[in-house]
Amino acid sequence: MKRKININRPNVSADEINKHKNFDSVLKNSAAAGSKPLFKKPWFLSAVVAAVAVIVVTGLVLTNENEQSPVVVNPVAGESDSILLAAFYKNEESKPCIAPPIEGLNVPYVTYRVNAEKGGKFDFKTGSKFTIPQNAFVDENGKPLKGEIELRYREFHDAADFFVSGIPMTYDSAGVKYQFESAGMMEMLAYKDGNQVQMAPDKTIRVELASAYEGTEYNLYKLDTLKNNWSCLGKDKVENENKNGKNQSLYNDAPTIAKVQDAPEYKAIEQKIGQVETVKENKIAALPKPAEAPKKPLKASKDKYTFNLELDLTEFPEFAVYKNVKWELGAENKNVNNAMWTELNKTLWEDVTLKEGKKGENYLLSLKKGKKQVNDLVVYPVFEGKNYELAMNDFQQKFDKYTEALDKRKIEEKKIQEKYEADLAIAKKQQADFEEKWKRERNNELASLNTEQKVMRVFQVSSFGVYNCDNPSVFPKGVVCNAVLTNEQEVKLMCYEVYLVDKTKNGLFTYNRNPITRLSFDPKASNILWTVENGILYYIKQDDFALIRSGYQTIKMNKVDQKFKTVEEMKTFFSI
Amino acid sequence: MQQTSKYHATETDLVNEQAIVEAAKKNPERFGPLYEKYYERIFRFIYQRIDDKEKAFDAAQQTFMKAINNLHKYEFRGVPFASWLYRIASSEVNNLFRQEKAQRTVNIDSVSVYNIIEEIQETKIDEYHDKIVGIIAELPEDELQLIEMRFFEKRAFKEIAEILEITESNAKIKTYRILEKLKKTIK
Repeated sequence: MKRKININRPNVSADEINKHKNFDSVLKNSAAAGSKPLFKKPWFLSAVVAAVAVIVVTGLVLTNENEQSPVVVNPVAGESDSILLAAFYKNEESKPCIAPPIEGLNVPYVTYRVNAEKGGKFDFKTGSKFTIPQNAFVDENGKPLKGEIELRYREFHDAADFFVSGIPMTYDSAGVKYQFESAGMMEMLAYKDGNQVQMAPDKTIRVELASAYEGTEYNLYKLDTLKNNWSCLGKDKVENENKNGKNQSLYNDAPTIAKVQDAPEYKAIEQKIGQVETVKENKIAALPKPAEAPKKPLKASKDKYTFNLELDLTEFPEFAVYKNVKWELGAENKNVNNAMWTELNKTLWEDVTLKEGKKGENYLLSLKKGKKQVNDLVVYPVFEGKNYELAMNDFQQKFDKYTEALDKRKIEEKKIQEKYEADLAIAKKQQADFEEKWKRERNNELASLNTEQKVMRVFQVSSFGVYNCDNPSVFPKGVVCNAVLTNEQEVKLMCYEVYLVDKTKNGLFTYNRNPITRLSFDPKASNILWTVENGILYYIKQDDFALIRSGYQTIKMNKVDQKFKTVEEMKTFFSI
Repeated sequence: MQQTSKYHATETDLVNEQAIVEAAKKNPERFGPLYEKYYERIFRFIYQRIDDKEKAFDAAQQTFMKAINNLHKYEFRGVPFASWLYRIASSEVNNLFRQEKAQRTVNIDSVSVYNIIEEIQETKIDEYHDKIVGIIAELPEDELQLIEMRFFEKRAFKEIAEILEITESNAKIKTYRILEKLKKTIK
């Protein structure tokens, strides 16, 4: 029989297989087909005879085919899968020259405003400097530009920077491929009103790129994004002026975020603290409002102006339990004296009205006779004898209830306060941790600049783009293997570029396609392997490399579950 | 060579599995756990040998349908139930070939070819890769099956023996003979 040979056909994922599972259908069909044992069916014998005949004939045919037919070797895969794989590779290979592998993660540009006519000198946070000459910018027609130009600048100093930027780190020199080891890379672009502009033909920009690498083996390359290759521009010049870490601009330059308070994470925590406060206030406001404290009953005094009133108890039921409640003229009334008292008493008032004044405390008495009237005299109920005892009992009950309600509320308030303090403590701790982290990063940045950025690599650029101080190199040596990269479920990863980070070399060694036919690494170096499938980063670290032997290996890659917001986060994750 | 087959089963696994089989003999609906457990493996076994994914899925369903219908004939012989399923699947695949509904396909991954080269203790890896593929493609079916199961499906000899109903030592001897043959042919 003619055989088809597939090499490295893509695996079918477990998910796809599981989608085809249908046990109900199997049950249904087996019930329909297997209702009666086969040998009991009337057509069994004739079917057996026919089947035997078919097997004999087929066997003969198959034997002939085995002898005569050549083997077809399909170097890729099954028809549909090979088309898929070919399309995937084609798509990967047709990507732009600079293709960041992870969406949303890149080395950010720092923007400078330059007056085109004046030019200027500019410092970058790493200590790098560049000098823009006067009238250095032209438009697409070569016409000199005036006014403000927006200059976008960024640098790449380690494997993480190279990786996230998507800038190729391979160099094809007359058909021989090299891997770059970099002493530093920078990109400079210029824009006017949002349109990219060019450098005037007779102008150059002097760049002093701060670098941790002082060797003279590095060449200067410019990335040709059309040819997808680097052009060698010769040697750069190394200046040792910063060798002792004396470059004060390293300290004076503002970091990306000048104050911790400006960091979005810090602002978010501050907002959270505000929310904690608001939640507390809202909860306290939602508690039942306590009733006003009852007023202690007043005892009738012989020294005060007291009088009797006949009350309609339906209007004033609070006095129903008392007999002969007395009333006292409040001292707050105007002109309370004997003359006033005498005047009040000598009139036989025709109309007497009483209404509640300050709740639970006093009442307002109005008196009228003809045109003569006295309005809103403040009067207090006062008690004597048995009435006083009754009033005191009533007060005590009300006061007990009041204090009970008050205690209850205090307990609730305490709970709210405790929750608030706990939440606040958490947020404050987050804030302190973030401040600490920010300070640490800032210190590390400064320390790193101080100790590592030893030299300035100086060169002139006559056009905008990506420049790299590089040394073409080969893959690290040591263990060589043929490696298939899989995910944690042992499904082969559909990935194109695979990046080896060797921390002893400042490069990004790039392999294409999975399996990697020759993965070569130094087992003594601190290595990381990265690849990306569908925008998700997979990796192995040094410990995993220890398990890789020469020969044929399946490498189970770990998935990065977190989404890096900045390159710094990625560097922290991978200790770069 | 390290094997990654999921085939091996402990005594307890075998006993538990047999209990499910016995229950399924009385009530086919109880076959569900076995279907869940073995569906993917049976599909992969079939798809390793043919190049049509949809036909492979159909054949996997047919395999389980036949397993349920013939479960009353199944006798526990101290080996995993899977070996019986693999034999039914193998028969299904052969049916497809006989009916010319599918083409015999050999799916080879480069790493496995390198494993074979390593096994025959050769060092000219890249030079021999294509040669080995060509020779494997022309092996007789019984020899191809052994190489396929051992190297491409990464099965242990014990499992291969149980599927092919031969002894484990026989599976080893046959495989090493084929490797010897490869070694001689390659030079």
